[in-house]
Amino acid sequence: MLDHFLAGFVSVEGNSFETFYLRSVNNRDQQVKMFKEANHVLIGFPLYADSMPSFVKEFFESLEPICGKLHNLSLGFFVQSGFPEANHSRPVERYLEKLARRLGGKYIGTIIRGNANRIDEHRGYRKKPVFKYLFNLGIHFGQTGEFDPYYLFRLAKPEKIRGLVLFITRLMIRSRLATKNWDKKLRANGVFEKRFDKPFSKP
Amino acid sequence: MRIAILNGNPDSDNKRFDHYLSLLSDKLTEEEHHVTILQLRDMKIAYCLGCFDCWLKTPGLCIVKDDSYRVCEECINSDLVVFASPVIMGFTSALLKKANDRLIPLILYHVELVDNECHHVARYDKYPFTGLLLAKGIDTDDEDIAIISEIYRRDAINFKTEFQFTRLIDDPIEEVIHEINSI
Repeated sequence: MLDHFLAGFVSVEGNSFETFYLRSVNNRDQQVKMFKEANHVLIGFPLYADSMPSFVKEFFESLEPICGKLHNLSLGFFVQSGFPEANHSRPVERYLEKLARRLGGKYIGTIIRGNANRIDEHRGYRKKPVFKYLFNLGIHFGQTGEFDPYYLFRLAKPEKIRGLVLFITRLMIRSRLATKNWDKKLRANGVFEKRFDKPFSKP
Repeated sequence: MRIAILNGNPDSDNKRFDHYLSLLSDKLTEEEHHVTILQLRDMKIAYCLGCFDCWLKTPGLCIVKDDSYRVCEECINSDLVVFASPVIMGFTSALLKKANDRLIPLILYHVELVDNECHHVARYDKYPFTGLLLAKGIDTDDEDIAIISEIYRRDAINFKTEFQFTRLIDDPIEEVIHEINSI
């Protein structure tokens, strides 16, 4: 999904970027150096146990010596979650806003997108608008250095599921449609019958 | 009560933190609780890769066989899990978070609605209560503590349990014991 945002960003003349992968934990010094030298940084991660994955937190810890010193930095975030509602990501958004302040930089916002687990496997009608919003958000960011609140809102939707969507979700859960793809993979892996195993149970 | 304390202190020179946990463990044992402290910095635990193989290939077990198995076993067979950590950059340590992320095999990939929100379904019949024991850093403020507590409260919903308390190691140990005894 970040690729779509970045495609929009570089479509604005004069913009360029470098990507580094925080899961490459052996490269921390280089990552911190690049972070210190950048004017704009976007940090993206999937939601793990309601916050950032441990390797992302480890990167944040490596920034401790430069806390309060990054006055020229503007910092944005992208948080992706599997559940559809944006509200799962709001607590970590609070943390990220505080982190930007802690570093002395400017917080430009957090792009939140739920329902995004393995989005490449989703059918076109579900992913198309998401990718378009990300592309447009990238263009706006490339032009202004800010996130457009309209696209942040559209991407985060739904904040919570309500009304008809809630009814359909309930129906999908009851009819097991919600887990159809997962069940298919379990069957393909030959472990469908073991899906409820409790290997750590003690008698 | 069976209690697992996950010690996420990454710094062996931070004796005050470890000493507090050790004292807490002794006092809880005196009150006939069964306490296990897991020293995460001495354990070999890999980062969660988010591959979901623990749901799809080896249900209930991570494909990476390391000390996370022991963490999972202790946690799921306890009545209370205390996540203990110094606050570093406004959050619990990456060391503790690493263990935290690897608890995902304990739940199922299935989804259910909890208060009209999507959450995971329980794999096990019973889950431990959770609590936080933190040590403030020099730049830690009340907002940090509130943010951490909220994130762990939310995580407890997916962990099919209830978040019980946030305590600081500045608190008298008797107060923490009282908090635990009142669960």
